[in-house]
Amino acid sequence: MKAVLQLALKSAWARRLTLGIALIAIALAAALLLAVERVRHDARQGFTQSISGVDLVVGARTGGVQLMLYAVFHSGSATNNIRWDSFEAIATHPAVAWAVPLSMGDSHRGHPVVGTQANFFEHFRYANAQSLRFASGKSFAGVFEAVLGSDVAKELGYRVGDRITLTHGMAELGPDHADKPFTVVGVLAPTGTPVDRAVHVGLEAITAIHLDWAGGAPLPGLNIPAEHVQKFDLQPKEITALLVGLKNRADVFRLQRHINAYKGEPLLAVLPGVALDELWQTLAMVERTLFALSTLVVLVGLAGLTATLLASLNERRRELAILRALGASPQAIFLMLTVEGLLVTALGILAGAVLLAGGIAMLAPLAQAHFGIHLSLRPPSWNEIALLASILATGLLASLVPGWRAWRMSLADGLTPRN
Amino acid sequence: MRLLSFIAALLFALPLHAADPWPEIKWEALVPKGWDPAAEFKGLDLSKLQDSDPRAIEALDKLKQMWDNAPAEPALNGKKGRIAGFALPLERQGDKVTEFLIVPYFGACIHTPPPPANQIIHAKSTKPLTGVKMMVPVWTYGSFSVQRGETTWGVAGYRLTVDKVTPYEG
Repeated sequence: MKAVLQLALKSAWARRLTLGIALIAIALAAALLLAVERVRHDARQGFTQSISGVDLVVGARTGGVQLMLYAVFHSGSATNNIRWDSFEAIATHPAVAWAVPLSMGDSHRGHPVVGTQANFFEHFRYANAQSLRFASGKSFAGVFEAVLGSDVAKELGYRVGDRITLTHGMAELGPDHADKPFTVVGVLAPTGTPVDRAVHVGLEAITAIHLDWAGGAPLPGLNIPAEHVQKFDLQPKEITALLVGLKNRADVFRLQRHINAYKGEPLLAVLPGVALDELWQTLAMVERTLFALSTLVVLVGLAGLTATLLASLNERRRELAILRALGASPQAIFLMLTVEGLLVTALGILAGAVLLAGGIAMLAPLAQAHFGIHLSLRPPSWNEIALLASILATGLLASLVPGWRAWRMSLADGLTPRN
Repeated sequence: MRLLSFIAALLFALPLHAADPWPEIKWEALVPKGWDPAAEFKGLDLSKLQDSDPRAIEALDKLKQMWDNAPAEPALNGKKGRIAGFALPLERQGDKVTEFLIVPYFGACIHTPPPPANQIIHAKSTKPLTGVKMMVPVWTYGSFSVQRGETTWGVAGYRLTVDKVTPYEG
């Protein structure tokens, strides 16, 4: 038996080129399938972990998913702002424990700027009810002070004490608020959520940098220096959205209806969990399609393996016949072929896993920066192991075919020369 | 004699053991006996009113208010049991859920007016639970507590400390 396996290995090594190509195909297919699964899992994890402890997200009337996207994920933009007095009405409602205003629309070198209040750092929760921590510095107190998310600080190399300029709008090449620079006073610890990519400033700062602006551009001839802004009323007139926490979470539907029926202006309140579920349902189809496609790619890879092994049977007619003549049983020949296929599949899967790890190590920063998806480098999860096992099982099935063919080949067939 | 008393004790104990440790709690049990939101509308013949009638609108507003302030049944405080209802996850850990609301009918609160305050249960678990998905019916096992309202707005509500959750069948 051992001798048969040794022979099988040596024979396979002699045909390393063709088998190697089959192996590469399987490795690529396995890596693709694993990558789809990993991205799906991590993106979902990232989405559900991005907000916690918030009962309602409130904004101007739009779609629930859209509101979540721009208020929490800083993706897309708001169609409308809401008035400050609506915020006050909700924040002072007896059922509300806390409310945090959010004001969007500016950016810093492609990173969204979020105008908020210092209580954001106190109330915002992510993942398993974890609160935000400062890696260095502290919350903003003055008007022209900013707190950076960890990615912003890392990517742009900012530290506490640096001065930054905000840009109007979300494009990197927008009109600058260069006359009113901000000082970095704090950097947050990494969270793996959209907070990492944002620059946080006070709501008053948002009002202040737009004092001498009208219609999205600086007013010509009007220039209010930074040191004079305190003379103006910096109370914001409008905000983009607000996050609400309740005293009693079971009150959420009542407050939601109360806000949706608010007489002052049309508002929309969504439960983050419901909106995230809706978002996920829309994405589920894409997810399933990708999964189906990558499964097909795996099948194609394994079909390639079967074809390679079957083709090799012809060139190995003599080899197998000699083995039989030397006393190897048909079962041993069957085993030899099957083990060969299985071995190639197993090595392919291993190479695929290594390929994926390398790919993630290289591409994770890009995925984080461009899509906000945090891909983690970690040993395969149970789901992924199950996927790999099913590839291996299919590989076994695929190798049974050439094994069976070899088994059925008669001794005489291999030894009689064909003309 | 000793043996006899032992057997007697066993016999007595049997019905106790046979009793379901997780009695089913029906949604009706969450409504205090004697609470009748319709009482206010005794003098009103609803069948004679159009939807646009100001009296009908006023009555509906009043009904909504009554639902919002629906009282809880104090007898349920500390009671252990299981209840069947649709889950609405509030706090998640990946695919698992640690906090959710339970409502008696499908789609409640998401698309339709929410049920009365005493038909919403706030369930909390110390360990993350699997199988709690948006608007999927589940059996939730745990101990109830009735929360006293601290504010004029939030009157009272049910809390459920969850022991386990199983899929709802039949």
